[in-house]
Amino acid sequence: MKPAPAAIAILIFACAPAAAHRLDEYLQGTLIAVEKDLVRAQIDLTPGVAVYPALLRDMDTDSDGVISVAEQRAYAVRVLRDLSLTIDGHRLTPRLLSVHFPGIEELRDGGGEIRIEFSADLPSGGPARKLIFENRHHSRIAAYQVNCLVPRDPDIRVAAQNRNYSQSHYELEYVQAGVQTRPLLSVWWPGDPAWLSALALLLLARFAWLWRHGRPVHYK
Amino acid sequence: MKPIQRISTLMLLSLSAAPAQTPASRIAGAANTFLSTLDQKQRQTVLFAFDDEAQRARWSNFPIAMVRRGGLSMGELSDAQRSAALALVSSALSRRGFEKVRQIMEADETLKHNERNNPMFGASLYYISILGTPSAKAPWMLQFGGHHLALNITIAGERGVLTPTLTGAQPALYIIDGKTVRPLGQESDKAIALLHALDDSQKKQAILSYRLADLVLGPGQDGMTIQPEGLKASAMNERQRAMLLDLISEWAGIVHESAADARMAELKADIGETWFAWSGPVTVTPGSNITAYYRIQGPHLVIEYAPQRLGGDPALHVHTMYRDPTNDYGRKPAAK
Repeated sequence: MKPAPAAIAILIFACAPAAAHRLDEYLQGTLIAVEKDLVRAQIDLTPGVAVYPALLRDMDTDSDGVISVAEQRAYAVRVLRDLSLTIDGHRLTPRLLSVHFPGIEELRDGGGEIRIEFSADLPSGGPARKLIFENRHHSRIAAYQVNCLVPRDPDIRVAAQNRNYSQSHYELEYVQAGVQTRPLLSVWWPGDPAWLSALALLLLARFAWLWRHGRPVHYK
Repeated sequence: MKPIQRISTLMLLSLSAAPAQTPASRIAGAANTFLSTLDQKQRQTVLFAFDDEAQRARWSNFPIAMVRRGGLSMGELSDAQRSAALALVSSALSRRGFEKVRQIMEADETLKHNERNNPMFGASLYYISILGTPSAKAPWMLQFGGHHLALNITIAGERGVLTPTLTGAQPALYIIDGKTVRPLGQESDKAIALLHALDDSQKKQAILSYRLADLVLGPGQDGMTIQPEGLKASAMNERQRAMLLDLISEWAGIVHESAADARMAELKADIGETWFAWSGPVTVTPGSNITAYYRIQGPHLVIEYAPQRLGGDPALHVHTMYRDPTNDYGRKPAAK
């Protein structure tokens, strides 16, 4: 088609030269899926054209103009290092599942999206659980978004989602049916199992002291 | 004739088609008329297998220079071929749906002009493709899109499915022949009217406490269903629910009338399970577009309205998304 004649089309406000492109932000959208023993997530990263040069230096570490497979993986590992994932206060270790990088031209033009998929095993827990996700990757330029997918497991029901304004901090509370409450001991000692080991050592030391000093121990 | 005027004329011609035909046979007829104008090589370029998943997902909000589309562009067609292509698109849409499409293309033509004739933009850069064999009974798909537009229309007998569809506009407000045009103006005006119709307690539930920079379920997020948030329509009164349905109709009513009626009946039945969430400013400059994000989500529906900052006024650059998480690309009728 021919372009519209200048006389009939008047833009009220001037558009930025790079009108179609994301500019000075690094969009980072995360979708989280919870299962009974696993959490999966995908994070889509879209660099704006104005911040792309600085980000490229972080990706193309040998500056050869190509983001090699090894550089892609290394960048994904750095992204994961900037994330924090906990369940009921326990820190989780994200495991990289896949990395997809668009062409370097797409990244440069502001239309390229990097996708990183990762998962983490969930320790067994009670019927009510709280997952906290934090993203600190390039926080000065980031536009974070994070959401939970509707659980596929009908036993799992999302109870609440809470975020700070920038969405760098996200809390997901959910309940799961068919899960027994924790054993009493784990309720008394909800933290690290090392506490139990320390307690056992203390009791052992106490018995040893009593035995050495010849004092009887009575069990009733 | 000017390109945009030509589109308007085609729309009127299409709407005056033979009344005895069913919508499905009318659309299939328009598709076959379009295909008959093409040579063998063009037909090979425009036709895809119905189950071609790569082509189904080949759409975006970005200009075609950034994300390539399949099919034939309006710019590489002759006048007669382009007329037949646009008549086909028009036949699958309602009058107001095609008008919305026309204005989105007109906005891109305006953007091209204001970007010193930037070849990245313009009405000639919208692509048409057909997946499957046009039929009045068997399912097939029509795709039409480019910058800020992705129509994925599945025709399955009398059922017409318009999801997933992306609409957007930049500039989302322009003046042409002395008239102010806002291609997505109703989506803005009806949403803020609904927000203002809520009481304080309802607003507290509907307004999210965090910023949303973009669509959550935009291109590349097929098959995802996020946890709904905001105010549930079961906590709205009848008037507010009617306003919500009227807002939803801005997307559900893009497709041709009989398919739109069936879709609206489905969404009306779901209304008690539909959520409305808002993030951003709760006021608007009179005559302009809102600068807030909002989302409408139900069992068979996701709508997102996301103004884009991108270095300028968010009221002038808008992306929207329309999905049915249970039936994108008409998978339900196709499976039968």
